Amino acid sequence: MAYIPNREPIGSWSRIMMKYKRNGGSWAYLLHRITGIGLTVYLFVHIWALSSLTKGNAAFAAEMKTFTTPPFKVAEWLLGLLVMWHAFNGIRIAVVDLGNGAKYQKTLLKAVWTVGIAVVLLMFILIFQTELFGHPIL
Amino acid sequence: MDKEIKHLRTYAKGKKSGASAWMWQRITGLALVVLTIGHYIMMHYEPKSGHDYGSTASRLSDPVFKGMYLGFITIGMYHGVQGCWNVIRDFKLKPWLSYTLFGTLVILAFIFLGIGYNTVFTFDPLKP
Repeated sequence: MAYIPNREPIGSWSRIMMKYKRNGGSWAYLLHRITGIGLTVYLFVHIWALSSLTKGNAAFAAEMKTFTTPPFKVAEWLLGLLVMWHAFNGIRIAVVDLGNGAKYQKTLLKAVWTVGIAVVLLMFILIFQTELFGHPIL
Repeated sequence: MDKEIKHLRTYAKGKKSGASAWMWQRITGLALVVLTIGHYIMMHYEPKSGHDYGSTASRLSDPVFKGMYLGFITIGMYHGVQGCWNVIRDFKLKPWLSYTLFGTLVILAFIFLGIGYNTVFTFDPLKP
């Protein structure tokens, strides 16, 4: 387990963070939680933002125009980063918990990093295709 | 074999151990992986048609898509709130504090689910 239980009451978040063992799997565990909280917050924001659909075409189009400006594109890519990490590591967690899966957790972690980085880089190229190549490639 | 049965029985204890919550967390998680990847491909393969009002309107007039969106946000909220409860519980806060945080989260989740359901059900494609 990543978390070493202790008996003393815990004062601060930084102290709890220092109690994680620094293995690959512990970082995965920590990142899974951080991305999970981030995605939950994003789900609230997403529902809120799309509620403008009830205000009609003009309001929605104006909002969508804002979302295609560069800062939102960067945010979109960062969101993709959170989603892809959480999804691939989540698959790993489900596999590790099935039968004999725990044997393969380190191999699976390497696969998560490899596939994750590949997909996130691909997303970067797709999101910024106009900026990178001067014209849309898809 | 005996070990496997024992292992399965710990799930059957359900409420006492929190194992059923963890099992549902994984089931909803895998459902969300499928839904999210599908959502990403649909919305971003052709970004313009994914995000304009007309295509959104045509999707939201299809009962299958409506059901999918409602299911998506409901499953997502369940998974998110359950996950946050896991995180909150690990910080060994005072019980009143952790229950207050969790309670606030649950109330917020229901409010935002209401907003989401309202968007899907009251959406009128003919509105200018």
